[in-house]
Amino acid sequence: MSDRLVTRVTCSVLVGAVGFFLATVTPAENPADEHVKVELVSEKDAIVPTEQVWLGIRFDLEEGWHTYWVNPGDSGEPPRIEWQLPTGFQVGSIEWPYPARLSTPPFVDYGYEHQVLLSVPVLPPSGLNEGTTAEITARIHYLVCHDVCIPGRKQLLLSLPVKNHAAPGANLLLFEETRKRQPKATPKGWKVSAASVGGEFLLTLKTGKLPVDPQFFPLEPEQIENAAPQNVTLTPGGVQLHLKKSNHLLKPLSRIRGLMVVSGTAYWLDVPVSQSPRGVQMQFMKN
Amino acid sequence: MKRNLGCGLVVAILLACLAGAQRVGEAAPDFRATDSSAQIHKLSEYRGKFVVLEWHNNGCPYTRKHYESGNMQRLQKEWTGRGVIWFTVISSAPGQQGFVTAKQENDYLKQMSASPTAALLDPQGDVGRAYAAKTTPHMFIVNPNGVLIYDGAIDNKATTDQGDIATATNYVSQALEEAMASKPVSTPTSRPYGCSVKYAH
Repeated sequence: MSDRLVTRVTCSVLVGAVGFFLATVTPAENPADEHVKVELVSEKDAIVPTEQVWLGIRFDLEEGWHTYWVNPGDSGEPPRIEWQLPTGFQVGSIEWPYPARLSTPPFVDYGYEHQVLLSVPVLPPSGLNEGTTAEITARIHYLVCHDVCIPGRKQLLLSLPVKNHAAPGANLLLFEETRKRQPKATPKGWKVSAASVGGEFLLTLKTGKLPVDPQFFPLEPEQIENAAPQNVTLTPGGVQLHLKKSNHLLKPLSRIRGLMVVSGTAYWLDVPVSQSPRGVQMQFMKN
Repeated sequence: MKRNLGCGLVVAILLACLAGAQRVGEAAPDFRATDSSAQIHKLSEYRGKFVVLEWHNNGCPYTRKHYESGNMQRLQKEWTGRGVIWFTVISSAPGQQGFVTAKQENDYLKQMSASPTAALLDPQGDVGRAYAAKTTPHMFIVNPNGVLIYDGAIDNKATTDQGDIATATNYVSQALEEAMASKPVSTPTSRPYGCSVKYAH
């Protein structure tokens, strides 16, 4: 009797352990699947030794749902990818396309709706044998939100043949479109400066021609109030953006880093912040 | 004339800045709120004690991370045991995720073996907005003089994974330990992580 009880207890513990194991690894147990389809995709249909190829995680989100940029803004969390690649493969970090401002008053998040591709460059080594297959695994953690948020976790697999020549894959267009949304270096002709003025940072851009619909996305959290409107003042040869400082900023900021999106193109900004109060008045007097 | 205009603008901006939400190092906004046992609490009645404010939404995966692991309950037990007042604050509006009636909250506290000093029901979001509470969880600490000394995340691992708790630095415990030892708080602000607080639209 007591032996049987022991057996039964042992069995249920085992079943419990197996059940827990399955729950953590089976994709069918991923509730986020109802709202987003995630897929590991390649720009090309094959791996060519020593030839860089772009791989990516493609998110197809249900209407009204979103996922997040590297700085998610007021809430949320950016997706994370852990790669498992064959020996000798090198993988870069995610080239984040610029996000959208997602407003749910009183908050603003930075993220993506509808569809996004988070792509990374991958460099295969030399000495791969043609006719073999490269097995690539990406373990991803992500959060999708609508009114409510659901965390997701998935293991995605992709097998690509090793060849001496690769043709475009089925997602070529998506990779090309995504590249247009990835930030570029600041154009050489631009003059960018930043000043700390009371409760604001003033970001001054001289671009030569009028930037259309300028928007700034801070790379670091807790530097500016995400939900504050970014008022734009026209200046000779450019614009000035008013960015409200974050309440969490307790020390002067030495540099401001982020994306400046103008006329639908994103540029990296990394500028020192001048603290001079004299500069402040000069800026006002110009207006 | 121009100079006056310039100075005026600077003053206007400074005033606008002061009118914003509180900052660490400044007086914490006073509030009056009713808990799930129909008791009224006023922050200013707790001068002389440390007060922790924990923004809460029982359906949010980040809140669940810290409750289903028992982490939040451990913190509540430890710090109330050391004389700290701990308020769980629920600012979800009716119909939104995390909104609870007093009875539902009492059932939840019992079921989760949670032991805050009290769970404050803030369905209008008044306390939440006074503190600019952004996420669940979002943690604040008020010192015995009524000054805000911490505003931010519960810890430094912004995930929904319970496995991360063991290796995380808990900013609330760190700040309380430091402040109780009369040391400056080494991390007084951080990005709060979690679901957005579900205020009334």
